[in-house]
Amino acid sequence: MSDLDEFKATYFDECSELLLELEEQFSAIQEGDRSPDRLNAVFRAIHSIKGGGGAFGFDALVRFAHSFETLLDYVRDGRVELGEDVVVLCIRSVDIVADFVAAARNGETLAADYGAVEKAQFDALSRGDAVELAQPEDGEEAMDEFDIDFTPVVVNLDAAPSTVQAAGGATVWTIRFTPFATLYERANDPLLLFRELGLLGTMTVTPELAKMPLLADFDPFGVYCSWTIELVSDRASEEAIREVFEFVDGDCAISIERSEAAPLAMDEEMPSFAALAEEAKAERKFVPTGEPDDLMAELEPAFAAPAVRAQEAAPVAPSSTTSEAAEETAGRPIGMSSIRVDLDKVDRVVNMVGELVITQSMLTQQMDDAIRDRYQELVRGIEVLAQTTRGLQDAVMAIRAQPVKSVFSRMPRLVRELAAKTGKKIKLDTIGEATEIDKTVIEQLSDPLTHMVRNSADHGIESPEKRLAAGKPEMGTIRLSAEQAGGNILIVVEDDGAGINRDRVLQIARERGVVGPDQQLTDEQIDNLIFAPGFSTASEVSDISGRGVGMDVVLSNIKKIGGSVHVRSWTGKGTRMTLRLPLTLAVLDVMLVKVAGSPYVIPLSSIVETIQNARADFGHMPSGGKVLQVRGDYVQVVDLAQRFGLASTQSEDSRFVVLCEAEGNSKIALVVDDIIGQQQVVIKSLEENFERIDGIAGGTILGDGNVALIVDVQSLKSTNAHQNAA
Amino acid sequence: MEALGLRDDYSDTTAGASQNSLQLIAFSIDEQIYGVEITTVREIRAWNGATPLPNTREYVRGVINLRGTIVPIFDLRARFGDGQTNPTKNHVVVVMSVGEKWIGILVDAVSDILTVSKDDIHAVPEGNSGDTELLNGIVTHDGRMVGLIDLAAVVSGAKTDV
Repeated sequence: MSDLDEFKATYFDECSELLLELEEQFSAIQEGDRSPDRLNAVFRAIHSIKGGGGAFGFDALVRFAHSFETLLDYVRDGRVELGEDVVVLCIRSVDIVADFVAAARNGETLAADYGAVEKAQFDALSRGDAVELAQPEDGEEAMDEFDIDFTPVVVNLDAAPSTVQAAGGATVWTIRFTPFATLYERANDPLLLFRELGLLGTMTVTPELAKMPLLADFDPFGVYCSWTIELVSDRASEEAIREVFEFVDGDCAISIERSEAAPLAMDEEMPSFAALAEEAKAERKFVPTGEPDDLMAELEPAFAAPAVRAQEAAPVAPSSTTSEAAEETAGRPIGMSSIRVDLDKVDRVVNMVGELVITQSMLTQQMDDAIRDRYQELVRGIEVLAQTTRGLQDAVMAIRAQPVKSVFSRMPRLVRELAAKTGKKIKLDTIGEATEIDKTVIEQLSDPLTHMVRNSADHGIESPEKRLAAGKPEMGTIRLSAEQAGGNILIVVEDDGAGINRDRVLQIARERGVVGPDQQLTDEQIDNLIFAPGFSTASEVSDISGRGVGMDVVLSNIKKIGGSVHVRSWTGKGTRMTLRLPLTLAVLDVMLVKVAGSPYVIPLSSIVETIQNARADFGHMPSGGKVLQVRGDYVQVVDLAQRFGLASTQSEDSRFVVLCEAEGNSKIALVVDDIIGQQQVVIKSLEENFERIDGIAGGTILGDGNVALIVDVQSLKSTNAHQNAA
Repeated sequence: MEALGLRDDYSDTTAGASQNSLQLIAFSIDEQIYGVEITTVREIRAWNGATPLPNTREYVRGVINLRGTIVPIFDLRARFGDGQTNPTKNHVVVVMSVGEKWIGILVDAVSDILTVSKDDIHAVPEGNSGDTELLNGIVTHDGRMVGLIDLAAVVSGAKTDV
């Protein structure tokens, strides 16, 4: 990867974060929080996206973001009122910015007028509706023209302004632009400013080279060039022109005036840079040091090179833009600061810390009493080492985990778009956004979740009329929730829509031969038919999706990361899709127990309580099996030693019952030999080098370097039920 | 493993001979010598216990932590049907790669690195199906018989039916 690619990648990562931030801020704003902090955060985010976009030349993005930013600035100043309509416009525009970013990332080009309506609205709002702005298509054309045809015009080296007469009532503006060294220091490029200015009308740019020194005195960091710009425009206002220079306010001297002078034919042949150099050479008596080409090379830095020494800088008032920028940097919330690290590097650290923990515990184990007595300092040192190592382990394990928020926060936009497209009213609730999942799982989660939410919005939720007719609130709700449960991550997409049309689904399944003609299915089996490959309720397919379209893809994607999908539907009441994701790779709080002398861990999230066997209230079943009575309920008991084909060494009464919660609030009581304690572990895959073992969700490495197996509470519950049935 | 690398280089430069020869890590179980191709061996470790895996065959000794990765350990003696090894600190685990997976096999001791000619590999005599299943062939080295382990076969069918 080249440096530039790396910078770009970083920029896009940043953009994703900033867009999430925007989404979040506007949600709060929409809910009525109009505090300056929010507005500042929004402004900063757009500003950062624009800034980076400019650096990489994503012009369309920058133009749009610039208008957006201007409006936000006016809102901050109170010049534009942040009404409901403005908020809606802003939220829509965040989506558009996201599209621009996505297009830039994928190297695609969006339609030239993409976002034009919103941009025009920004501009209109920013100007208090006074000025009707040109459509961006015009801007695009102007830009192209500019790119191709821009050639500086030398009128004379004393730089008397040339004059331009406008056709058809257009105004002629003369802008004198003298950059200071600071402008270059801040990595601004006059060319970009001119380009922006060029969007306002037809312009002629004349460099003033009077200050150009002799080559011997030439300082590559010096600022020698200023420009006079003739702008012919029927729509530019002084304010619009000033706005172009807003970013270099304070780093240059600008004068803007309407000029009334003699016409200059626009098709007059314009001298090239080479001619300019020749002329400059003649006028200023450059000492020729080589070929004309070399001379050009010498000259060019005057136009482009950053300048350090301000040569002709007139004193200026401190710019508002720069002081704001400083303030923004200072005021950036600490929580937002982060670095991006290659996942491989993190894995390396995780593994090395694991090794460190093992070595440390090995050291501890080797200290016998004699050593303890003799080398107390050493012992103390090793104890401190143990503590630090443990802390390091915790810290490292936390690095890979990420809250599901990063996926969830993409959904509001999706729902908004779908609602707008289908004319439905849909509200999205999210719960458990802070639930942490391993980064690799999160990455795999985005597509399936999008499919599921889309399905709920498109097919689950009915139109407002239908909902009212069915006696439901007009506004449908989709609830997205995440939690750690039963040793898994559960992600639930639920809607209060019409539910799956089982007759239709079954009919189609029979037509397609997915289900045999005489096969009888339970409601649940019918619901799950939507995951069948190639299954689609074609008659219901809209332009967005059909219930069933892509659901087989959802299933296969989730299976790829070792998860499962389950759907349940209630006719007229709604549909619930449950995504069960594996522990694999997740950071987990566990209880460490002993079964037949071996360590096992049980996910803390699934544990309800622990009871000593002697105090537990067991009942005996005809099969000889046990049940546990817990506050009036009878819960199935599974002796882990027995279940795993091992022999317990513990006396029955000294063993423990760990009461766990499996899926759907069902409980299961696991009998273990001993309870050792709680700790945090990183899940390791057993399948990587072995195979899946029934009742085991994976392995983990304990502080002493030994492997402990993770009890899969859910599978114990289901296989046991199966065994009972058999 | 430095020395082994050198041997590889050596065998590479003496192409004529190396194409027809095979380097083995030889290890012993009850005085009998077995070998696996040296390129599959990743590491040799002293036995340090393993966490047993439930519902697996007797010859699956459990799993160990190999620098953060969980690796299953197969007891080769038990795999041959001679009962579980009673391992001491002197027993050795040979960590190898079988396809994409890493496994360890528990043996009594690692004895040598052998260079044998491919021409000297004999077929496993028909008769006992267990022999043909677990061995790829037999090589004679210094007059002693060395059984070539078929790793894939050792690993397969490790789970018991529940």
